[in-house]
Amino acid sequence: MRYLSWVYLLALFTFILLPVVTLVVFSFQDGRLPVPPFKGVTFEWYAKVLSDRAMMEALLNSLIVALMSSLCALTLGFLAASGLARVILPGSALMRGALIAPMTVSYLIIALGLLQMFNQIGLRPSLLATGIGHVVINLPLCFAIIYAAIGEHQKSALKAARDLGAREWQVLWLVAAPMLMPSLAAAFFLAFTFSWDEFIIAFLLTRFDVTLPVEIWSMLRSGLSPETNAVGSLVFLVSIAIVVVLELTLFRKGSK
Amino acid sequence: MTADVHINAVEHRFNSFTALHRVDLEIAAGEFIVLLGPSGCGKTTLLSIIGGFYTPSEGQVLIGGKDMTHVGPKDRPTTTMFQDYALFPHMTLRDNVAFGLRMCGMSKAARSEKAMEMLDMVGLAEKAGRKPHELSGGQRQRVALARALAVEPDVLLLDEPLGALDLKLRRQMQDELKAIQRRVGTTFVHVTHDQEEAMAIADRIVVMNHGRIEHCGTPEEVYLTPKTLFSANFMGEMNRIPVSGAGASPLGPLDVPAGEGLLCLRPENIGLEGQFSLGAARLTEASFFGAHHRCHFTPVNAPDLTLVAHLPQGAHPQIGAEVELFGRNPVILPHATPEAA
Repeated sequence: MRYLSWVYLLALFTFILLPVVTLVVFSFQDGRLPVPPFKGVTFEWYAKVLSDRAMMEALLNSLIVALMSSLCALTLGFLAASGLARVILPGSALMRGALIAPMTVSYLIIALGLLQMFNQIGLRPSLLATGIGHVVINLPLCFAIIYAAIGEHQKSALKAARDLGAREWQVLWLVAAPMLMPSLAAAFFLAFTFSWDEFIIAFLLTRFDVTLPVEIWSMLRSGLSPETNAVGSLVFLVSIAIVVVLELTLFRKGSK
Repeated sequence: MTADVHINAVEHRFNSFTALHRVDLEIAAGEFIVLLGPSGCGKTTLLSIIGGFYTPSEGQVLIGGKDMTHVGPKDRPTTTMFQDYALFPHMTLRDNVAFGLRMCGMSKAARSEKAMEMLDMVGLAEKAGRKPHELSGGQRQRVALARALAVEPDVLLLDEPLGALDLKLRRQMQDELKAIQRRVGTTFVHVTHDQEEAMAIADRIVVMNHGRIEHCGTPEEVYLTPKTLFSANFMGEMNRIPVSGAGASPLGPLDVPAGEGLLCLRPENIGLEGQFSLGAARLTEASFFGAHHRCHFTPVNAPDLTLVAHLPQGAHPQIGAEVELFGRNPVILPHATPEAA
């Protein structure tokens, strides 16, 4: 039995990680095709990616969109969560539901809806439009994480701050935000990675300036090349870096 | 520093539930008032109305003669010490205590000095740089008190602040609260469901039930001469003997003031000697409590009644013995209305 469970574990990890490992390994392929057999190690493809201007622009675009949209989603989610946690309004449950609802809708539907709406109001497909789309998908996430973190204890600390004469912005800035910092950070990093990886919305809502996933997709259309593997590996590296940073700062602190 | 509080005909409803029924209460400046009652009696609602967290459905709240009915907590001369302390976990004790002063715009040096003074008062000056999670429950309690008092409120509201502490620490904190209240002279309004705590600290106790004030008086008045059956029972154990006319009772005629209702006697007011006889009774059970023997007697004339008496340490009652019991300090109250029961 013991032996079997190890086999199972190994099979499981192989299943999860094999695609990524293959991607990374063949990004060093010394040949024109990222398929076996492995012919040797070269950094040529990485050099090519890093000197590819379109690719680097897309990378920068992605960073900007991810940063701005997750900051927006975080701010809006934080304000919504602290507002709904503070007072019980008629229809509070409905408002919470409406805020979280976009989470259940597929990105494709959201993107189509946004595309039509932006057409109506004359906003052309652009990084701004994509950013707004990413706020739409990440706001429910940020709201849910932050709202869940505001328990009775937090509520009474906020009440105490008001009782001691704090204005509403002081309550939010001096007490709520620092007190909820771990969840704020978790929400921000999650929103950032989701925006960073997101393809469908970005594909439908960008035209001339594109984000990295869209750029990678257009590169794939011209056929397989170790260069695409190199880009993929870089994107993966960024995601890993964020997870490691999260692990080292937030979750370690939280478990103490 | 201190102010009187007038509650005029305050009524409060949550949807269809009426939490307070036209409550009137006058609190003098510098008084230590305890709102006492079981959970759901409206004591915390009343406290929240004084603190400005709720606006009453009807009625008026005056603090220091000014109408505060529609003023928010931020602009009231009141501060609250919350049940779960509500300290700011990310700030040091010094910053916690100085928070209210910072909100009034006091300079950093001045508020830091004042905060240290307050922490010194509660005996935590050497822990000023620590964070709340490094403290014990009792210490957090003290920080919450220092923080609430640092802004020199006219009225301090305490919402069951000692509920989470163990018994010994609670008794100790009661003494400290009382001493600090005497020193600063601020009006304290304290909410609790523990009648011993109420008696230990209050100048006046307000006994509440079902959104009404049952009795308001000094601890002696409330304990010894309760006005209603509810406050009689809530303040401690009570023997109840139905009486009618000029002292007729199941125990036989009693030499008590004429009245219709229930004769109430505290266990310590029944003994082997006293003002009037309760007739012969058989001891059925006895246990030693240190300060007294707690004894259960069955009156010979009324075997279905049980009288609980606290006999002094020296007495050595024998189970089964038949003795004549006497009562002291009789209080006769009308039968309970269904609502007060």
